[in-house]
Amino acid sequence: MDKVTLDIIWGKLQATSDEMGVILAKASMSPVIYEVLDFACGLCDNKGECISIQNGITIFTGTFTSDVQIILKKFDKDINNGDIFLLNDPHYSGTHLNDVSVIKPIFVNDKLIAFAIADAHWADIGGSAPGSISPQASEIYQEGVQLPGVRLYKKGEIQKDIIDIISSNVRYPTLAIGDLNAEVAAVNIAEKRLNEIVKKYGADKVFTTFEYLKNTSEKISIKAIQNMPNGIYEVEDIIDGDSFKEDPIPIKLKLTIKDEEIEFDFDGTSDFSESPLKCGKGALFSQIKTVFKSVVDPHGFSNEGWFRPLKLKIPDGTVFSATYPESTGWYFETSSYAADLVWKAFASIIKNKTSAGHYLALSPSFLYGTDHRNNEPFFALEPHCGGWGASNDSDGTSGLIGILDGDTYNYSIELFENKFPMRCNQFKFNTEDGVGHGEFRGGFGLIREYELLCDDVSFYCADGRTKTKPWGIYGGTEGSNNYKIIRSNGKERKITITPPIKLNKGDTLKIVTASGGGYGKPENRERKRVLDDLENEFITPEIAQSVYKLKDVK
Amino acid sequence: MTRLAIDIGGTFTDLILFNEKNGKLTAYKSLSTPSDPSSGVVNTINLSKIDTANISFFVHGGTTVINAITERKGVKTALITTLGFRDILGIMRGNRPDMYNLKPKKPTPFVDRKLRFEVKERVTSEGKILTPLNLESLDEIIDICKKNKVESIAIQFLHSYLFTENEKKCSEYIKKKFPEVSITISSDITREWREFERANTAVLNAYVQPIVLKYFDNLEKKLNDLGINCGFTAMQSNGGTTSFNGAKRQPITLVESGPAAGVNGAVLVGNLTNKKNIIYFDVGGTTTKCALIENGKPKVTTEYKLEWTRFNPGYPIRVPVTDLVEIGAGGGSIAWFDSGGSLKVGPQSAGADPGPSSYNKGGIEPTITDAKLITGVINPKNFASGQFELKKKLAEKAINKIASVLGVDLITAASSIVRVAEANMINALKLVSIQRGYDPRDFVLVAGGGGGPMHACTLGKELGVSEIIVPPYPGYFSAWGMLATDQRSDFAITSLIRSENADINKILSIFNKLEEDAKNYFLSNNDLDKNIIDFEKRIDMRYLGQEHTVTVTVTEKEFDIEKILKIFHLEHKKAYTFSLDNTSIEFVTFRLSASSNSPKPKIKEISNNYKIDDSILEKREVNFGEDGLHKATVYNRNKLPTGIEIDGPLIVEEDSTVTMVLPNQKLTVDNFGFLRIK
Repeated sequence: MDKVTLDIIWGKLQATSDEMGVILAKASMSPVIYEVLDFACGLCDNKGECISIQNGITIFTGTFTSDVQIILKKFDKDINNGDIFLLNDPHYSGTHLNDVSVIKPIFVNDKLIAFAIADAHWADIGGSAPGSISPQASEIYQEGVQLPGVRLYKKGEIQKDIIDIISSNVRYPTLAIGDLNAEVAAVNIAEKRLNEIVKKYGADKVFTTFEYLKNTSEKISIKAIQNMPNGIYEVEDIIDGDSFKEDPIPIKLKLTIKDEEIEFDFDGTSDFSESPLKCGKGALFSQIKTVFKSVVDPHGFSNEGWFRPLKLKIPDGTVFSATYPESTGWYFETSSYAADLVWKAFASIIKNKTSAGHYLALSPSFLYGTDHRNNEPFFALEPHCGGWGASNDSDGTSGLIGILDGDTYNYSIELFENKFPMRCNQFKFNTEDGVGHGEFRGGFGLIREYELLCDDVSFYCADGRTKTKPWGIYGGTEGSNNYKIIRSNGKERKITITPPIKLNKGDTLKIVTASGGGYGKPENRERKRVLDDLENEFITPEIAQSVYKLKDVK
Repeated sequence: MTRLAIDIGGTFTDLILFNEKNGKLTAYKSLSTPSDPSSGVVNTINLSKIDTANISFFVHGGTTVINAITERKGVKTALITTLGFRDILGIMRGNRPDMYNLKPKKPTPFVDRKLRFEVKERVTSEGKILTPLNLESLDEIIDICKKNKVESIAIQFLHSYLFTENEKKCSEYIKKKFPEVSITISSDITREWREFERANTAVLNAYVQPIVLKYFDNLEKKLNDLGINCGFTAMQSNGGTTSFNGAKRQPITLVESGPAAGVNGAVLVGNLTNKKNIIYFDVGGTTTKCALIENGKPKVTTEYKLEWTRFNPGYPIRVPVTDLVEIGAGGGSIAWFDSGGSLKVGPQSAGADPGPSSYNKGGIEPTITDAKLITGVINPKNFASGQFELKKKLAEKAINKIASVLGVDLITAASSIVRVAEANMINALKLVSIQRGYDPRDFVLVAGGGGGPMHACTLGKELGVSEIIVPPYPGYFSAWGMLATDQRSDFAITSLIRSENADINKILSIFNKLEEDAKNYFLSNNDLDKNIIDFEKRIDMRYLGQEHTVTVTVTEKEFDIEKILKIFHLEHKKAYTFSLDNTSIEFVTFRLSASSNSPKPKIKEISNNYKIDDSILEKREVNFGEDGLHKATVYNRNKLPTGIEIDGPLIVEEDSTVTMVLPNQKLTVDNFGFLRIK
């Protein structure tokens, strides 16, 4: 088979996934999708293996394959042309119930050739708190509606009953159904495009391309692993408590590189948590895959082939391997700790493609109530950007979204103030809490402060890296912490994890994110860089003198 | 009387003259003079030997603005913002499109933190003053700016898209105390919301303004010295022109003027051939540009991002820019293998210097031009008007690098390079057409640029367009497009209105306000047309709850809420495959494009009595990609009889390009000398 044709078809498959993403983002109803872009689209072959994923966010890197395989296993011979399935399985495959996968089998001449999949975060999927990820949820039943692989369409016929069940169990049905429509539009466009590709090149060539692209990617992975020194690398860290207890939760990774394989063994990781600060194996493996892809080939099109040489070992029931019916709402914070462990292990092996620790996850804020301007309910879910770690040749980047997201935007203040009854008083780099110093310094976190313009607004959050700090490397120092400050009636309190609490008009909420870790010894930092930082007020004269040993400072 | 269009490119300065009396076009080229582009302009005008007293229309297109930005050669610029928000320019949007990279980077802002200042002032989201502007605090800022030798200041306050007064007051105050500094206020450039985007737009305008001012002043003087006294206009990115004065005030509106002019060239081709729906396809030395023209009107967007790539968020510039997709595939694009051994072409380009291997200027990498030479499409002796001969041996040596890895012969390797490049081009063409809900069968493909006609027939066939048109002078497309360009300025204002509260009179009053702004703009600019102004009204709309909008064009006939809503439902369905008929709708941004309806050049038919045999140059082996190897007849375009019909496979050669017609396609030469291929 002519290799150039295969590469051309590969390019068209990628273009299809990217087009799905554009459709979904632009047609969706909720800010968490259209503004924050918390979703991904892609294609799987007829065995369920992911063959392409849109350049969007990383956390779905590994979940598409297991999502489609759940459908294949459950429906087996009963998958028909015109079916569309809904799935949100947080334990085996995915993340949390909010992430609803819409999966469409694609048939050409009555033969199942592939699946199109769109997975998007719904603003609310029911459960005990608006937004569905109450930090207090101890069981999955408190986190909303479970969709264990059900048909939304059966042979082209919409199943209205399913929509009724969903509409009556979620808080913002217009948003939910709007987003569902957008996801369906995305998988439908994929079906159309795949048909065009098959029509031009023939099904055989398209099938050959599926195998070719996975094998090509696998080969690059294997070559990269062969270039890594064989050995066992052990790292450990602490999760700073959960929503029920403040005690540290130890986590561990033993990474074994042997010839053409890497094993990730998380034995020794704590099983101590009733809270939803846990993740299932699906999210865990996705994070491993993300970090692995980053150190192997950040720009190659992603698919399941890259990850064939990876082996995961973890007992059930740990904070990284939650099982039914445990809650997993805050999987993103917890699974990001897993990514961070893997990252730290690789940082000691591959210097030029890694960096020191970053602010970790999204430190989102949830705010909801009734807007006094129109008496309509509002729901503001916002992930926040933070500081990234320094690396062998550059300072860390300031105010950037965490490892599990990607092409995710912060909320424009002008839009935010129009949409929600709050005013932003400041939005700036967090230079106040310090930063990881080093030959290259970490990036700065952010400070964003809201003042409430109406009464009775509820707020909840559950940050990570609240006591431990993003790690420095090769002599670089640690970064700072994530936290929030509420100021009410002249009193301030610091908050890291809280169930819904009430805020009133005039109260302020200050969201502070962590700065990243440093790389190399601070005394090796170029004088020019220190002076630039001083001039730009990123560091104080005291720091310039005490940490960077700059003598002649005014 | 003669119309003159001048287009300053990286390598050449192109001049097109249109003689209004006899309807004839003539073109001239001379080397660009990057250190002072106005010299190249003068050289080219001198070369044409035109009687300058006869020039009645002068339009200028150039790269001064985009070059100053991409080469970071603008002036030292400061930014003044609302208290609490000076870091917005550096925080940007926090997105990380390079998502599998543990060393992700953000673009560097054009103003350092130390030159980003805050003043006490605050306006609410309703446009009301919450904290009054504290002008006195500007004194210290002005001092620091002077000390730092700041040449230009951008001012951007929160919600200034609604309330512009504070920005204006601030500007006036600085002007008094620091008269030599150049000042840009954000609301003068754009009245759309999103603070970072507006700030960045203002900053980039400020960054280039002093340079552009100097450049146009100098050019004006030189043109006057040449005896050219008609009004001078400059091509803008929105597809229209403005006076030199307008360009000096809002230079950022010139950022993508070259491509916009090219799209206008396609519109002109459409006017002459009675085609309203056009897909424009232009292949230059380093990039391919594609745009869709519906009903004779190019689309404009304000979502433009400078230096955007798949892995770089780029710099948003919120001024209207002709909507086109540009990819890194042009004649100089280099073929290479990625880590998985897949053949890739571009975006790295050998450019003009050293250029493709066959240029014999030291380039050793295999490029598309080399591949087209090996496949027999390009005649080595008739390249770039025969200015230099291509060296086939060098192309073979370069292409052999690809052939040996693929394990194929040279022609197959060269053909593979062309196929990979064309796969990228077809994806771009689909992006502007099929993926936006248009059916290519309703469109003609107009090919421009030195490379467009070599690829157009293959791509047109795959896309399924109704016809492919190659106009004369395809290598001068931008200059040619400028000849037909109207004066134009765009105005927009964000104002949220829900469909259930919508009152047509309120909407009319918004448009009336915008019309007033437009009239003032045309009146206050000396070189602009005062009389004939054509207004196009558009509204960005969305379903309640959505963020992204769909732009709906509203004509006078449709000035009725129900009718507007109906158009929106249809447009939404076209763009996103569905409509939500029972959901309420929001009007978001109101847009007005005002243009003078300047007379279009009336190009005369040029029917001739040439004999077909006289136009045949030779027969040669040409690889037609998926259509295989054929012995093709090669024709000289300048001697082709009008009205003739010839079956492919065939090649048409002319000074600046080669047109490749596939087997089973038919070439017709129409009375304007356009090549029409079906």
